[in-house]
Amino acid sequence: MVDIEFEIDGKLVNANQGDSIISIADREGIDVPRFCYHKKLSVAANCRMCLVDIEGNPKAQPACSTPVANGMKIYTKNDKAKNAQKAVMEFLLINHPLDCPICDQGGECELQDVAMDYGSDVSKFNEGKRIVADKGIGALIQTDMTRCIHCTRCVRFGAEVAGIVEMGLTGRGEDVKIEPFLTEGIQSELSGNMIDVCPVGALTSKPFRYEARTWQMNAIQSIARHDLVGSNIYTQTYRGKVKRVVARDNEVVNETWISDRDRFSYEGLNHESRSLSPKIKKNNEWQDVSWEVALDFAVSGLKENTQMPSQFGVLASKHSTLEEFYLLQKLTRSFGSENIDYRLDKADLSIDNSLSSTITLAELESIDHALIVNSYLRLEQPMINHRIRKATLSGASVNTINIKKFDFNYGISLEVLSAPQRTVSMLQSVLKSLHEKTRTTLPKYLSKTKTDVTHNKIADDLIAAENPVIILGEHINSNPSSSNVVGLISEIAALSNAKIANLSLTGNSLSAERVGFKPANGGSDVTSMLSGDTKSFLLMDVDPNYDFISSKLATDTFNKKNVFVVSLNSFEDEQTLSSADVILPLACFYESSGTHINFDGVAQSFSASVSSPGDSKPGWKIIKVLADLLGFEGFDYTDSSQVADDALSIDITVDNNSEVNIEVSEDSQVTAHWQNSPYASDAITRKAKALQETQIGKINDAFVSDLTAKELKLSEGDLYHGVPVSINDSVAEGCVFVHTYQSRQG
Amino acid sequence: MISDQSKKEIDFWVKKYPEGRESSAVMQALTIVQKENNGSLTNELIKEIAGYLGMPVISVQEVATFYENYNHKPVGKYVIRFCHNISCMLNGSDDLISYLEEKLEVKTGEISKNGLVSVKKVECLGACVGGPMCQIGDQYYEHLTTKKIDEILGNLK
Repeated sequence: MVDIEFEIDGKLVNANQGDSIISIADREGIDVPRFCYHKKLSVAANCRMCLVDIEGNPKAQPACSTPVANGMKIYTKNDKAKNAQKAVMEFLLINHPLDCPICDQGGECELQDVAMDYGSDVSKFNEGKRIVADKGIGALIQTDMTRCIHCTRCVRFGAEVAGIVEMGLTGRGEDVKIEPFLTEGIQSELSGNMIDVCPVGALTSKPFRYEARTWQMNAIQSIARHDLVGSNIYTQTYRGKVKRVVARDNEVVNETWISDRDRFSYEGLNHESRSLSPKIKKNNEWQDVSWEVALDFAVSGLKENTQMPSQFGVLASKHSTLEEFYLLQKLTRSFGSENIDYRLDKADLSIDNSLSSTITLAELESIDHALIVNSYLRLEQPMINHRIRKATLSGASVNTINIKKFDFNYGISLEVLSAPQRTVSMLQSVLKSLHEKTRTTLPKYLSKTKTDVTHNKIADDLIAAENPVIILGEHINSNPSSSNVVGLISEIAALSNAKIANLSLTGNSLSAERVGFKPANGGSDVTSMLSGDTKSFLLMDVDPNYDFISSKLATDTFNKKNVFVVSLNSFEDEQTLSSADVILPLACFYESSGTHINFDGVAQSFSASVSSPGDSKPGWKIIKVLADLLGFEGFDYTDSSQVADDALSIDITVDNNSEVNIEVSEDSQVTAHWQNSPYASDAITRKAKALQETQIGKINDAFVSDLTAKELKLSEGDLYHGVPVSINDSVAEGCVFVHTYQSRQG
Repeated sequence: MISDQSKKEIDFWVKKYPEGRESSAVMQALTIVQKENNGSLTNELIKEIAGYLGMPVISVQEVATFYENYNHKPVGKYVIRFCHNISCMLNGSDDLISYLEEKLEVKTGEISKNGLVSVKKVECLGACVGGPMCQIGDQYYEHLTTKKIDEILGNLK
């Protein structure tokens, strides 16, 4: 409701009750200098830089904390305002060092910019400047606290956005300092945003330190594709290398924030194990060859090893681009094979994508209740978790059904523990309780199901909420009865009018779904390919050690003598070298153009930020040439956007008739659930050094309850498949929850 | 470790605030815990207070470093808190602090060799009318002179 009219610099403008002067000035394109004000953070009004003159007021007032009023006359550029701003600037510069030439913030520094406009040539102060000792806050953020002007943006960011209060303002007066309590390092998965909000060079990117000056770099619009959000970013490049990644504003996708994984994963691009030239394996010896030789070798190898089309299988990482998925499935289907899959880490491959999300990213903020099932949401999808956190700040409640009590950055009303093998019966009880409460006809298969207080509470909360959402996370993927879980969740959602957010299809999985990158018409899925009669494989960005639910089955199959493996890979890891017969060097993230489809179903295309190193080539080009050499028609693309157009125009109808399984036998055996830490989620992230040195990067625990530990004869500190055991009463009985950066064992 | 007795005292203060506002009792909690720990705080104690009141540790640290009445290094049995703000300074507090330092052979912020006394410069204690002044324990000593200081030190045992 526009109800206030006032004047700013002689211009008549309208605003809503409660708007601050600075927000209206920003809207009207009037420049008001500021340090502590940030549109996404609370108002602190402690830097005093935004002082403006309001007619009738004896003193200049801060524009950030003064609400507009009817008939106000505001002057941002008259003498009174300018004098006030200059005086504040002089104070701020008393202690700020003049080290801009060696400061990484130089050139993009808010203080530097404002000092150019408002600073004086000569200072009245001759006293020595203060020096602040640094504590160091971890591998991602470089601190130079002598440069700090105590705007407290980082403190407010921690408290209000990241949800973990780590930085604080200690001491007082001359001795005041911004610091964390101890030097364990910042724990937040969104910590890198503190670098973006810091107006000076106090917090800068550690991996970027002294790499380039900001004005030397090119900023290229790109899309991060580690998670389902597709955060908008700028990649900043210098001399053909990505030097830094920063957030790009997009209110409906990532607001102004990005996760640390999106920000720092680029480091992996320059890893020493990058695959730089095509390689073929002859008599068990690797030799570097030209592209022609490698492609001929690959094509003839594929042809010779495949007596019939059904012996050819194609597997792709879920982080591939839409174009790569589309061309790969086209190539495979031209080959006459239906053996394609990207669901490498899924245990239950029986169903199609029957659970589609029915809510958008922006809508997640306005929910009033969330039921999180099988997800450590904070680490899996940091930006989606942030939306849920915003909802909780305006009063939403959250219940979880998880294998372990996780560390969320908001309060959880009810944390229910459930081992993977008991998730189905747990959800059945919730469904039964819902049926009883809504007085709907009970399906037969629920007649014997028992309910208790917990199930009733979950059902009650769903019914009572006006705008509930059920969130399904990544843990479901390794659950052998996930189709039942998915079926039950859609039943529960239908009965309680809840929206669904399916976050189990992460990375660029939605692109794979869009182009039908799954076996149809009797083709083999990943498990049957690996255990069946497949004689030749084409692997797209696949790491046999990390990507499969059973890495042993995968490596054993690829290592067989009579199996021919063509691997398109950006890295030459030990396992890739031992299992492949040809390595075609693949351009990595930011080196190839492509498209990512995000949670909202929005296809976001990006161009290459840098050219790929050595002889490596973008995936879509390699696949196109392979298809040409195999003699297939219809691959005459000259640009990736043509591929994307084709990919987005095809219509894949998905069978959506999965039925809820009725008989579920409860397995009493102990199960293990393996989740890779967020910084081990894909190849490039695993190679990013700084991320691996953070607390999240070092996650390496096999959590097990006391009772289950006794049953398995495990004690604290033992190794469970190479991961140290941690006995913990916040884990469900009857399972081991392995959370680690290490590769999957067994 | 915070003793059960101290926890009881903290609970007394916590109860004075509405539910969910336990953190309002942080200053009293710091005072109680500091008293129990012979007049100073440690990182471990601050962590424990944060855990007890359900606050982020850094938020407790912010309070504990803002106010002069919390000590982060061990102190003597008696802490002479000497005001050095304007009224006391105009009445000669600087000279008296130097006298104290010479006599006790300590610098401000340090403990005397026998562990009995430490000296701390503090901001205004609100007794400007009696400046120069200092506080030892709960007692104010006003209109100080070198002679008076000798007398006071003589009584500290």
